Amino acid sequence: MRIAFLFVVLAGAVYYTSVAFLDLSFLSRTGRLGPGFFPRIVGVAAIAMTIWVIVDALREGRAPDDESSTWGDVLMLMALAVAYAVLLRLFGGLIATVIYLGLTLSLLNRGHHRQNAVLSIAIPGAVYLLFDRLLNANMPPALFDMPF
Amino acid sequence: MTITSKAQRSWAHAGAMAAILALPLGVAAPAIAQDYPSAEETLDWTIAFGPGGGNDIMARTIIDILTKYDLYPGDIAPENRAGGSGAVGWGYLYAQSGDPYGISTTSGSFVTTPLQADTPWQPEDFTPVALLATDDLVLVVNGSSEIETIEEFIEAAKASPMNIGGTGTVNVDFIVPTLFAQSAGFEFDYVSFNSMADQTTALLSDALDAMVGNPGEILGLIESGELRPLVFSGQNTPAALEGVPTMGDVGHDIGVSMPRGLILAPDAPAAAQDWWIATMQEVVETPEWADYIEGNTLTPTVIYGDDFRVFLETTKNGFEEVLRSVGAID
Amino acid sequence: MDIFGDLLMGLSVAITPINILYLLAGAMVGMIVGVIPGFGPSAGLAILLPMTFGMDPIGAIMMLAAIYYGAMYGGTITSILLNTPGESATVASTFDGFPLAKKGRAGPALVMQAVASFVGGTVGVIMITVLAPLFAQVSRSFGPPEYFLLALMGMLTLIVMIGQHWKLGLISAMIGFALGTVGVDLETGQGRYTFGSAELIGGIYFIPIAIGLFGLGELFYAFYKGLHKTGTGGIVQYDKEERFWPTAKDWISTRWTMARHSVLGFVVGVIPGAGATIASLMAYSTERSISKTPEKFGKGEMAGLVAPETANNAASSGAMIPLLTLGIPGSASTAVLLAAFLLWGLRPGPLFMEQNPELAWGLIASMYLGNMALLAISIFAIPLFVQLIKVPYRVLGPTVVVICTLGTFSVNASFVETYLMFAAGIIGFFMRLYGFSPAALVLALVLGPLAEEALRQTLTISRGSFMIFVERPASLWIIGVTIALLVLLPLLNQVGKSAGQAEKAGS
Repeated sequence: MRIAFLFVVLAGAVYYTSVAFLDLSFLSRTGRLGPGFFPRIVGVAAIAMTIWVIVDALREGRAPDDESSTWGDVLMLMALAVAYAVLLRLFGGLIATVIYLGLTLSLLNRGHHRQNAVLSIAIPGAVYLLFDRLLNANMPPALFDMPF
Repeated sequence: MTITSKAQRSWAHAGAMAAILALPLGVAAPAIAQDYPSAEETLDWTIAFGPGGGNDIMARTIIDILTKYDLYPGDIAPENRAGGSGAVGWGYLYAQSGDPYGISTTSGSFVTTPLQADTPWQPEDFTPVALLATDDLVLVVNGSSEIETIEEFIEAAKASPMNIGGTGTVNVDFIVPTLFAQSAGFEFDYVSFNSMADQTTALLSDALDAMVGNPGEILGLIESGELRPLVFSGQNTPAALEGVPTMGDVGHDIGVSMPRGLILAPDAPAAAQDWWIATMQEVVETPEWADYIEGNTLTPTVIYGDDFRVFLETTKNGFEEVLRSVGAID
Repeated sequence: MDIFGDLLMGLSVAITPINILYLLAGAMVGMIVGVIPGFGPSAGLAILLPMTFGMDPIGAIMMLAAIYYGAMYGGTITSILLNTPGESATVASTFDGFPLAKKGRAGPALVMQAVASFVGGTVGVIMITVLAPLFAQVSRSFGPPEYFLLALMGMLTLIVMIGQHWKLGLISAMIGFALGTVGVDLETGQGRYTFGSAELIGGIYFIPIAIGLFGLGELFYAFYKGLHKTGTGGIVQYDKEERFWPTAKDWISTRWTMARHSVLGFVVGVIPGAGATIASLMAYSTERSISKTPEKFGKGEMAGLVAPETANNAASSGAMIPLLTLGIPGSASTAVLLAAFLLWGLRPGPLFMEQNPELAWGLIASMYLGNMALLAISIFAIPLFVQLIKVPYRVLGPTVVVICTLGTFSVNASFVETYLMFAAGIIGFFMRLYGFSPAALVLALVLGPLAEEALRQTLTISRGSFMIFVERPASLWIIGVTIALLVLLPLLNQVGKSAGQAEKAGS
């Protein structure tokens, strides 16, 4: 997994650097440092460092995985967070938060049905009151008009 | 406090003005359109920037005037739809195509954002109501500089190139000095800053030779003599900069400025456009509007309807040409 | 004494029942807003500005100043409890604040940060009162060359942060620098990595990245470690045995820290630009380099929290100097205050204090009162916040996700930034898991653009010559101070240490 992550970083660095070299000029047309100056330095340095770390990691070989950890719940939480992002776009801040909290709490806080129901209404409600009514701050709007 | 008493005075004044204004309007409105605007409909007023910015202040000033003089019969709901240098807010208005109850105010980004990003809309897509004012710039040097007048400045700049600071590149701050220098025949290095505060600090620290900026933000420094104004880019010098020549006065009129105006959604009904033109004609006559123009040192330049669309197109094309010639956009 | 006369006049203006009410209301609202991730002082001020429309200018400006301070106090609370800085000036407070809370010392950490904020803020106001004209000179001697050097000084903190996994730390910083180059290039106006998106014209905003990397990343990591399966508490261990009040050792060991960084923070804050952020970073790295126990930094050292907290509050007082004496806003927050001044028809500039003595001195007087009020409010509110971390993590976790998300969205009403925050959260988790340094990434994101822009401005001004850095007195000063910090302090420290060891060996 660690190697995979490092390769993702390397891919990003290569892409970043290629754009810096292909699209952004090193010097501006008046002969000063151009838009590509800094990105090229940063990009090349990032590629070099990442390759170095990858080589180190390959040489060390496979590190034993940490057993005390639980991948299942983390991946579930990440998936839920992504789902929340999509829900926000569709249904707006208030509704999406109710759905997200309801779903997440029922998975994490099993068995406490009443508590979960109360929390997934009360928290979005309180945030809505604080943001929208008291502070007049922006809440994500719904993509479609809600009937209420 | 003097401020409070001033506010009270203008309230009293407002009452009298409202009475006078209400008369002709009450007669005129039904003649223009039978059912626009309907008191039932809420006016959806998009402010494409956050609270406290120039665009926000202008929108809220107009809304205050509309409310104070009862010029608009229904509710007005101003909403800050900030993001993407105005792309989000005006994108929202663009999506309201054909709706007579979507409205927004414009500022410089209305012209420059579509040049920088692939926005689905162009400034000329919207239904133009009116250009109300323009933002113009003043060229200043440090108060301790030996240069006293714009003629001396041009002389000195011809002798050895100067650097001039401004905010951003895809902006009037860059275009105004570039066109002015072309006309006056000198060369300069443009130094781009993130904000007026950064460039002012740089000028005060003597890192810059000169800078351009909106006079409203540096009037305090001009009054105290820390900064010396040399030339103003608008058609008329505002009262606060008395004695400063305009670029036209010194023979180098460039005719570029940032439009502050009012627009409706694309393809809004003609009745709505006519109603708003008639209403804005009332708004610009109010003392509150005069206070706003003076307080923000804007140049009052009023153009209505399709003339405004032409103005936007000319401004956009002018910007595009200059920016393309220096490679800022492609 | 003229100054005391002015200050008394200011106090008489500020102390009216209605103004005190505004002050208290502002302090409380500011604190609540500051606690929400995403809302630092500047965003808090911007959304609360409309509340003051229609108020009398003195009351309104007192309230705004109180919101400003309140948000500064409140912002650190999330840095300590949730590892989520609300704005760039409190990033340094997470370095030791969060480890302190993890060790079960959340109560003492919160109390000490409130006291540090109070000391920094109050010393700052005293310095404004006495030395404003002098420091006005300082704020006008800074141009692009000096900002470049300052940004480099701020980056020294990066070296401190990177620590043992230095290769991974450097890669993290490179990612931060790379993200910092996104947006329209300031100098040429050319888009860099914007892919035609209007949302990216202005670059990648620091807030969603910081909230994602620190707040969400930490949360995912806690779930990975299975903390949600424990009964109460979560990331932060709430130990019943631990006393709520700081110990005598906390007070004694940090008294000089507070004194030092009140002055340092104020002086850096006076410089218009990234004042409070650079002040807090410099405070952290200076404190670490002169500490007798630098190895404890980053693992929950009280001085490592007190130093940046004192400095960023002193700096936020210092930022008032360019605003009041030159009409130049030194920070995003003072820019909102400037907008408010303009809204009331006031024209800040060198003549401002002369022309509006009541307002200027009323504001200064209210800053003394505001800091006192906030210290009191903090002491009362801290036990409530400490209760918060007793909430079982399986319930607190999702709630934190909700608040981070909605806080991020509402600052700029941007879905793109909200998605960026989620992405940064997932990346932050992997960075944490594999030994990268999210803090180095965030610092690079803040300082990179500053350094790049200042360097390019400098070289345009000097026509490509680097001599400009030694030709200007102000930049020479900065170079001198940097050398002193880099070379002399650690050297002195080394000498002190070996002297101590020699003594021990001798006895």
